[in-house]
Amino acid sequence: MIEVKNLYKTFDGKNMILKNVSYHVKRGEKLVIVGPSGGGKSTFLRCINLLEKPTYGEIWVNGKLITPVDPYLHFDVIEASLTYGKLYEKSVAENPGLSEEERREMLIREIKEKDLLHEKNEGGEYRKRMKQIFAANHIQIDLARQKMGMVFQHFNLFPHMTVKENITFAPVKLKLQTPEEASAKADKLLARVGLTEKADAYPSQLSGGQKQRIAIIRALAMDPEIMLFDEPTSALDPEMVGEVLDVMKELARENMTMLVVTHEMGFAREVADRILFMADGGILEEGTPDELFNHPKHPRTQQFLRCVL
Amino acid sequence: MFENLILAFEKTFIREDRYKMFLGGLGNTLIIALCATLIGVVIGALVAIVKVYYKQTGKLKYLNAICEIYTTIIRGTPIVVQLLITYNIIFVWSTQAVAIGIMGFGINSGAYVAEIMRGGINAVDIGQTEAGRSLGLSSATTMKSIVLPQAIKNVLPAIGNEFIALLKETSVIGFLGVIDLTKAAERVISRTADVYFPYLSIAAIYLILVYGLNYLFKLLERRLAKSDRG
Ligand SMILES: Nc1ncnc2c1ncn2[C@@H]1O[C@H](COP(=O)(O)OP(=O)(O)OP(=O)(O)O)[C@@H](O)[C@H]1O
Ligand SMILES: [Mg+2]
Repeated sequence: MIEVKNLYKTFDGKNMILKNVSYHVKRGEKLVIVGPSGGGKSTFLRCINLLEKPTYGEIWVNGKLITPVDPYLHFDVIEASLTYGKLYEKSVAENPGLSEEERREMLIREIKEKDLLHEKNEGGEYRKRMKQIFAANHIQIDLARQKMGMVFQHFNLFPHMTVKENITFAPVKLKLQTPEEASAKADKLLARVGLTEKADAYPSQLSGGQKQRIAIIRALAMDPEIMLFDEPTSALDPEMVGEVLDVMKELARENMTMLVVTHEMGFAREVADRILFMADGGILEEGTPDELFNHPKHPRTQQFLRCVL
Repeated sequence: MFENLILAFEKTFIREDRYKMFLGGLGNTLIIALCATLIGVVIGALVAIVKVYYKQTGKLKYLNAICEIYTTIIRGTPIVVQLLITYNIIFVWSTQAVAIGIMGFGINSGAYVAEIMRGGINAVDIGQTEAGRSLGLSSATTMKSIVLPQAIKNVLPAIGNEFIALLKETSVIGFLGVIDLTKAAERVISRTADVYFPYLSIAAIYLILVYGLNYLFKLLERRLAKSDRG
């Protein structure tokens, strides 16, 4: 359902925050991402709905490309480049003995490793292929985001709107629901999280736990297929963590596809199908909760778990 | 002494219904300041949006350059020179001095409001934009419906100050032939040959206006802050 391919992310071209991260999230999967602070968890999650722009790599959502085409992921594109043509001739002259297949593999590997492609001077055929792939697969990000809910650490409710307006604004504005439908849906969602009486309140009148529950149903009002959570309980007072986790657990039982960055190891154990351990900008280890918590292999994972458990 | 004052008052305001002159002038002053503020807010908001959008995305390069030139010129030249240019060069075909004054002051104010608005937009938590975008709203909708309402609320006090500043600045508009409050005093003086009473009177009127409005805006601000806290 979500395919992250060779994702790299640098900020301002300097420090590499994500280094060659690949992962395939399946429909219905409950994926929990854990790891030390600064390891790139948020950046990874935010790249998935393009709140951060990946530097290299591609992200596919439901078979549709949301990022630009990454030429290094398409061998036919590399082969169409002028750089490939030049290297090919050079290679033929220098190593006449190689088979075509060997030569091709070697050149592609060299071009990828040394980052030899330069968008501007790779010629018409290269550009044509890039455009073709893009046109055939790309989906506009606003459309893709309609199917991806995101819940933030700091709730980010709209303070100038009532709770109900927060929930109904986007689906009505985007003409996905009529105002009546949206209102009825909001009522149902509010009842589900036990906040019916807060419909006309403003966010400033809610507690942290209430705000986060509203933020979750605001995302659910769009009928998303995937929900992304970035430390949804980290900004909450301890006594309010439970009420938010309960809503998330219920969502998991309904088989929503979920990506959750959290420090709540209990929740991870209980809900996750798979756990990713991210540190230093990469996925260092992944596995089922049992594998990762009870039999961690990577020393960094072991060290991390000793600290948090 | 007291009788002299009464006489001066009578001469300045009552005789030949001269108070009507002042009222008309006051009306023009208020209308020009109010309309110019509104124009300033619209221009300022647009310029601020372009600048913020360019900073965030790198798009709208040329529009952003135009906005930079606009704010640079307006903030770097005197308002009187701007009015002269507006009146004698840009709107040379028109004799609607009040309308031209409104345009001139509005265009001038826009450059200052742009900076205010930009500050207001930047003061809105980036999380608001991210929340809007993550729901699938376009950047334009997010700006218009999520960020701007909060930004405008942030900058309302500064816009109030801008209106008050304009109210005072419009006193130079007389040289375009508009009879504002200041010009009204001059007109009366040309009849009565008494400079003291009319000038001191309009000074008092400006003073009362400025501090009256100031007080009013403070009240409104407190109201708003209260509704915010819920
Ligand atoms: N906008 C940005 N500009 C520059 N550096 C950034 C930016 N956002 C994040 N970083 C850097 O990227 C690194 C990874 O950040 P990220 O927020 O993804 O980590 P994290 O795993 O979510 O950590 P935490 O548990 O503290 O939330 C950090 O070193 C951070 O300083
Ligand atoms: Mg984080």
